Amino acid sequence: MGQKELKVAFLLALRSLQRGSRSSTLLTILIIGMCFTNMIFLPSMFSGIGQSITQQLIDYEVSNVLVSPKSGEQYITDLDATLDLINGMPGVQRASPQYSKGATFKYRQRLLGVSVRAISPMDEKEVSPVYTKMVAGSYLGEGDTGEIIIGKPIAGDASVRQEDEFQPSLGGVRVGDSVTVEFGNGYTKDYRVKGIYLTGWSPVDNAAFVTRTDMELVEGTTLDKANYITVRAKPGYSEQFIKNELLAYGVGVNGNVQTMTDLLSKSVGKVLQSFAIINAVSLVVSVIITTVVLFIVITIKTLNSRKQIGVLKAIGVDKEVIMHNYGFQVIILGILGIILGIIITLALAAYMSVHPIVTPEWSAYLYLTPMDLVINSVILFCAAAVAGYVPAYQVSREEIQNAMRA
Amino acid sequence: MIEITDLRKIYRMGNVEVRALDGVTLTIEKGEFLGIMGPSGSGKSTLLHMLGLLDLPTSGRIVIDDMDISRFTDYEKTMFRLYKLGYVFQDYALVPDLTVMENVSLPAMLRKDRTEEQTKKDSFSILQKIGLCDRRDHLPRELSGGQQQRVSLARAMVNKPDILFADEPCANLDTENSRVVLELFKEINESMHQTIVMVSHEDWHKEYFHRIVRMRDGRIVSDGINDAPKTTA
Ligand SMILES: Nc1ncnc2c1ncn2[C@@H]1O[C@H](COP(=O)(O)OP(=O)(O)OP(=O)(O)O)[C@@H](O)[C@H]1O
Ligand SMILES: [Mg+2]
Repeated sequence: MGQKELKVAFLLALRSLQRGSRSSTLLTILIIGMCFTNMIFLPSMFSGIGQSITQQLIDYEVSNVLVSPKSGEQYITDLDATLDLINGMPGVQRASPQYSKGATFKYRQRLLGVSVRAISPMDEKEVSPVYTKMVAGSYLGEGDTGEIIIGKPIAGDASVRQEDEFQPSLGGVRVGDSVTVEFGNGYTKDYRVKGIYLTGWSPVDNAAFVTRTDMELVEGTTLDKANYITVRAKPGYSEQFIKNELLAYGVGVNGNVQTMTDLLSKSVGKVLQSFAIINAVSLVVSVIITTVVLFIVITIKTLNSRKQIGVLKAIGVDKEVIMHNYGFQVIILGILGIILGIIITLALAAYMSVHPIVTPEWSAYLYLTPMDLVINSVILFCAAAVAGYVPAYQVSREEIQNAMRA
Repeated sequence: MIEITDLRKIYRMGNVEVRALDGVTLTIEKGEFLGIMGPSGSGKSTLLHMLGLLDLPTSGRIVIDDMDISRFTDYEKTMFRLYKLGYVFQDYALVPDLTVMENVSLPAMLRKDRTEEQTKKDSFSILQKIGLCDRRDHLPRELSGGQQQRVSLARAMVNKPDILFADEPCANLDTENSRVVLELFKEINESMHQTIVMVSHEDWHKEYFHRIVRMRDGRIVSDGINDAPKTTA
């Protein structure tokens, strides 16, 4: 195939698309565009959901590395020494101990079971962004006693009647109100609500926070233990690096050390696996639809122009030129369809970044990398090329006589 | 020169055998304007297809300019058609999505020995010759039948082929348009010394032919020089 042949093939292809049926050309491009969108939409939404769950887990549950009690034990003991050790290591932003205790909240006529988490506000602020999620009042200060911050779902809304509530609440607590808290050990005390927050991560939103100083009053003793310790890595340090470091310095003696990824592969990993299956199905379906549609479009085109193909061959046009004519048509349709698909996808991504689908556990936006766009484009393009070249090859080999008689 | 020796084409359909060509021997000289005439079904088109390398004979030999075309590969045949032959079809057979200019230049664009400049020039001058220069950007469907057939002739002529085949080029045209087209053939034959082989079954066309071969049932029944071909008016 020389340059002249390719040029003629391209001219024939271009003219056929320009001057042939406009509507069938546009519809074909639209279908390819939609297939591309379909192919990339679900996977990138799932990956967006995955990202959002992962981020929330990091922010509100386990941070980058989680130190939990040795199996069989309820607490990490010798806490102060352990914290000093962890905080002294390179790559560690901050370690924050978590200690929680069940309690019953009383406000006016309402009763509600809530898990109260004790934190050191200074440490916790470096590990978790709850302090940025205050909807009323302010975050806990270091050493606060008699003050509590609660999630919005617990505070509730005074304008909603109890029987209409989505989940039980205290029915409209406001900042400055006093809430009576009876802890599991029988200790009862009135707290002033210092702030109300809403993170969107329901386990945190359905909890309340007090300072560790306050919890020591509740326990009646110094609190040298924690349910677990969340460790935030400094930017640029890998979770694995910190985990190895912690283990090397003997934190493993006192507790279990797991990275976020370790934990993820145990829980969310299962979910992500089923996402992967759905993604594969949506990819295969899109590829098949695109292939079939283009195959049909090109087959119809070639069948409709069999006589013309015979004539072209009769006047000395090589069969390769004829094959590439249809091949180029598919390539042009494929490229335009993919461009349309990319535009639709980016528009959807832009829309969803402004209006994400928000649920209590996750918010879905489209997580798209340029690589996703490239890979999907290449896959669809190859499918298109195959779908077009098969009928093009077949028709270009036909005997002139048979073709011309058509 | 075209030398045809004992050419046969047999179509078999089940038990029925159609001898479309039943032993045709014929020599066509360079520069001849040959008319092939005869009743419908006598094998005129079949003969032309064999000569134009569009179909294979069952047996017999065709030698064009000392080349036995039965030995050609598929690609060589294509190149032979591109470089040596021109073909005009009864139903014009223009590419509907290409303009007049694009249709005419198409065969020239594929020639390795033609620059883009030359292709343009050649296409332009042939369009001038057929008088359709002002219609060069029109699509075939915007032209009359006679005009389309002239474009088809221009496409066949743009590479200045040695031999021009035409299978009933006037069958779809009225007398007036037929004359215009036939005059063009005659002019081309006279000015460029192209060999022209034309199939026709209109008796009055014979005034244009130098030599007339009559066929019936796949055989040549008469072959004679036309004593009084029409001269340029
Ligand atoms: N592909 C084919 N299969 C079977 N028979 C064929 C085929 N092509 C031509 N024939 C037969 O061969 C014979 C000669 O056909 P051909 O087309 O050469 O006739 P023709 O002289 O051109 O007739 P017309 O003037 O009608 O065009 C006819 O009997 C025709 O039916
Ligand atoms: Mg015929």
